[in-house]
Amino acid sequence: MLNINKLRKTDHAIISIGSHIPILQSMLDFEYLAKYDQPSLKAIIATGRKYIRMFFGKKEVLIPVYSSVSDLPSNIRNKITLFINLSSARRVLSSTCDVIAEFPNLMGGTIFAENVPEKHELELYHYSQKKNVFVVGPSSVGLLISNKLKLGAIAGTQAKQLVESQVFTPGSVAVFSASGGMTNELIRLTSQAGKRLSFSLSFGGDRFPICTPVEAFLAAEKDTDTTHIIYFGELGGYDEYELADLIKSKKVTKPVIAYIAGTISDMFETPPQFGHAKAMASRGEETSKAKAEALRRVCIKATNSFTEFLSLVKKIPAKIHNIAIETRHASSLRIIENRRPSLFINSVSHDVGGSVEIVKQDLLTMVKKQSYGWIVASMLLGKPVKSKELAEFFDFVLKLLVDHGPYVSGAVNTMIAARAGRDLVSSLASGLLTIGPRFGGAINQAAQHWLDGVGRQVEAHVFVEEIAKAKKRISGIGHRKYRIDYPDPRVKAIMAFTGKLKYKKYTSFALGVEKVTTAKKGNLILNVDGAIAAVLLDILSEKEQCSDAELKELIDIEFFNALFVLSRSVGFTAHYLDQRRLDEGLFRLTQEDVVYV
Amino acid sequence: MKLQVLSYESKMARVKLTEHKAKSLLYDLLGYSYHGVSIDRKGLSQYAHTLSKDKKYVVKVDQGIKKRMKQGLVKLRVSSYELRDAIDELAKKGYDQFIIEEMLPHNQSDERYLAVERIRKGMLITYSKKGGIDVEEHASEVKRAVIPYYRHPELGSGSNRDPDIHRDDVEQIAKELGIDINILKQLREFCEKYFVSFLEINPLVVRKGKVWLLDLAIEVDSTAHFFIRDGWNENDIVTEKHKTYEEIAVAALNKKSQAAFTLTLLNPNGSIWVLLSGGGASVTIADEIHNLGFGKQLGNYGEYSGNPNAEETYLYTCSLLALLLKSNQRRLMLIIGGGVANFTDIRITFKGIIQALAEYKNKLKKKKIKIFVRRGGPHEFEGLTAIEEWLKENKMYGLVSGHVLPLNEVVGATIKELRSPPSRG
Repeated sequence: MLNINKLRKTDHAIISIGSHIPILQSMLDFEYLAKYDQPSLKAIIATGRKYIRMFFGKKEVLIPVYSSVSDLPSNIRNKITLFINLSSARRVLSSTCDVIAEFPNLMGGTIFAENVPEKHELELYHYSQKKNVFVVGPSSVGLLISNKLKLGAIAGTQAKQLVESQVFTPGSVAVFSASGGMTNELIRLTSQAGKRLSFSLSFGGDRFPICTPVEAFLAAEKDTDTTHIIYFGELGGYDEYELADLIKSKKVTKPVIAYIAGTISDMFETPPQFGHAKAMASRGEETSKAKAEALRRVCIKATNSFTEFLSLVKKIPAKIHNIAIETRHASSLRIIENRRPSLFINSVSHDVGGSVEIVKQDLLTMVKKQSYGWIVASMLLGKPVKSKELAEFFDFVLKLLVDHGPYVSGAVNTMIAARAGRDLVSSLASGLLTIGPRFGGAINQAAQHWLDGVGRQVEAHVFVEEIAKAKKRISGIGHRKYRIDYPDPRVKAIMAFTGKLKYKKYTSFALGVEKVTTAKKGNLILNVDGAIAAVLLDILSEKEQCSDAELKELIDIEFFNALFVLSRSVGFTAHYLDQRRLDEGLFRLTQEDVVYV
Repeated sequence: MKLQVLSYESKMARVKLTEHKAKSLLYDLLGYSYHGVSIDRKGLSQYAHTLSKDKKYVVKVDQGIKKRMKQGLVKLRVSSYELRDAIDELAKKGYDQFIIEEMLPHNQSDERYLAVERIRKGMLITYSKKGGIDVEEHASEVKRAVIPYYRHPELGSGSNRDPDIHRDDVEQIAKELGIDINILKQLREFCEKYFVSFLEINPLVVRKGKVWLLDLAIEVDSTAHFFIRDGWNENDIVTEKHKTYEEIAVAALNKKSQAAFTLTLLNPNGSIWVLLSGGGASVTIADEIHNLGFGKQLGNYGEYSGNPNAEETYLYTCSLLALLLKSNQRRLMLIIGGGVANFTDIRITFKGIIQALAEYKNKLKKKKIKIFVRRGGPHEFEGLTAIEEWLKENKMYGLVSGHVLPLNEVVGATIKELRSPPSRG
């Protein structure tokens, strides 16, 4: 059940199903203007991105995006108290059921979509009642509690509208309508008449709104702030008869002012369908005149004329408002209206007011205190490295990969460019451009293998078979020269770093694969690329507490290859300088160097 | 202006299926075969061979009309050679969709009434053992019961639903009507499967436990068409008679758009025309015209909502203006009205409106039209400024106001202008 007092007392965490940026942004603007420290919107369910950038005042904030409700981390999941469902009509039933089932502290939410089938509305109605969760909608602009909560487009999507409607001054008038447009119209009208809102909601124009007028009226009755109820009803349906019963049985005692629209329906030969799904008077009791009369019989001020309705609203006694509070929003509004989105966001380094920080440490302090391995690892991860092991491993690998002689394609390219008279940067770039699937890019691919194998808990021999069947090679396995009986000393040095690790699941898996492959052929050993990938995965997992998802992301963004590119740049630069010093002149192949076919 | 005519049907709420489709689906679910023929005026010859010379037929208008018998829209005991004449006669009354069924001789005492309506608590069953065209005259025989159809989403769709049924009620209904209890269960299944909101069988002929659905009317939830795999589709929804080209065009626009549009012609020669936005505000403004005694002069009702783009608003306005310009009144008033929008962008929607007004500028000037605007919402100032400039420049200005003016007062201003003598020049 809708409990406004409880909603006012709670610190909310909101989840949005789907994204409709103007609506969500207006919710953040509302909270900024209501002097919240941070937005209540904690997560958005959508696809294709990791977060959505939104404004909180002038500042931009990142709202995390998850592809499904079940992907939410438990710390957020347990906090969620409210939802706003902005998904399409066809997804409303399943997504709302998911939300109600998944969040233990959920109080309720609103549904925006139009054209939700009646049957789905009723299933949600019964389900939400059983779960004791309130649901406003479908086809609702939402729920508003003055200076506390805006859950939907209600009261407008521009900050200017919110300020003009004075929804930051708690008042005593509750406003209800099926119509979203009229809800906002009445909010505006109430504030223009010098009154202030306690809360407001729009049921939505469908035949079976999940939060019924009865539930809203009872919520207003129980709400300590509300003294008056303004209701805009329409022809169609029988809601007003239930409201009349509530009043007759004294379950609602607060004064009600009502307008039941739709006298125009008398003009039509056969009852027409008006703008809302339920706005059709098939039977006599459903006409606006009959319904207004039913309300008047229980002494509600119900009119069929808007003029009369307006004058009744104006007569509601107004409290005195603090004008100083209401005018202070003008400056906040200027901030909102003049903001613009940033062109970039950055988490690696800062340059604010001339003082440079790298991963949140002052540049000079860091230079004095940290090793080069620590700095590189921290910057590539985008956050300070926690463990000594990772810093040391980086240090080692950066040295290890620095060069591998002049024959490799990157070195050759660099030398050719240098001999063609090109400058340092061009020659270096020419060398770097050879790095890819056949040269230097194997660390990332090997990491992909080990993560995949361990993640699926597949046995090493099955894994090898799978790849063999697909007629592919395993990156990180195989060497031209070294064999099982003639091991690569560099691999041994890399493996030494696993000494301080506990589980070594990636290294163990890689070694398991090596055992299978070397049984087939002696030179199919774990090579430098494969070993670096495995040990690095283990250190990241055990010493830096990276989750599987984080490791996968590091692979996706080519983190593992970055290590090679960085280190080998030293080698290529050296080859460039070397060629320039020796000044050999332009390199050219001869006829003997090419076979014609 | 280019408008494509797609279909009559609007995308919202309860709509009627043709009786022929409704019967095909329901008889099929009950396990009966159905031999009714659906026909339009041109279609008779292709079905002629299926009709027998020895049999008598019933011909009915199949366009969702209530009380057909009393309106003379049903022809009984028609021989196959009389069918053409019977259809022509009905067609003269403005109809174009018919259903032909074999005549079923029966006693009036076999006629029952049975209706099912989806309400909040469940399925409301209304029934009477005295059915037929005079069912309302036996009001004391009409009984009601609610069968909860509610199925818990956590139980999934394949769960056993029977425990929900109030068995006593169902048994009572079946007993009273003299039908098998399974028929009621099947009706419920039918309503669930095809998203039926309302179903009325009158008369339901019952003889020795076997049933015939003589007249069947059903309303389905048109928003559910996405969830219906096999069953009805948009083509099975009845077509209303007497629709203008412009109304059809707006219905087609509504169907294609994310936003919503409706347009209904009330009085082709009206002097007050309305271009309104928002389901609630549009009714409020129309009410005000009616309440002030000018309802008969109102040319149309209609509304747009759900933040349409400029192109869609342009198309909608064009349809409205085309209707308005056919009015034979010498002076015309147009109200562009709406509440304070939550998310519909005023600048963008008004851009489309101005574009349409500009296209019909010369014709509108000849009609000495005056335009009255009241609207609020996102980018209200920009939208209102643009239309105010345009109206003043083109001498059509009646009033332009934002949220400061009470919603209904735009009507008062319009009527005042209509009553005042026309200005010269």
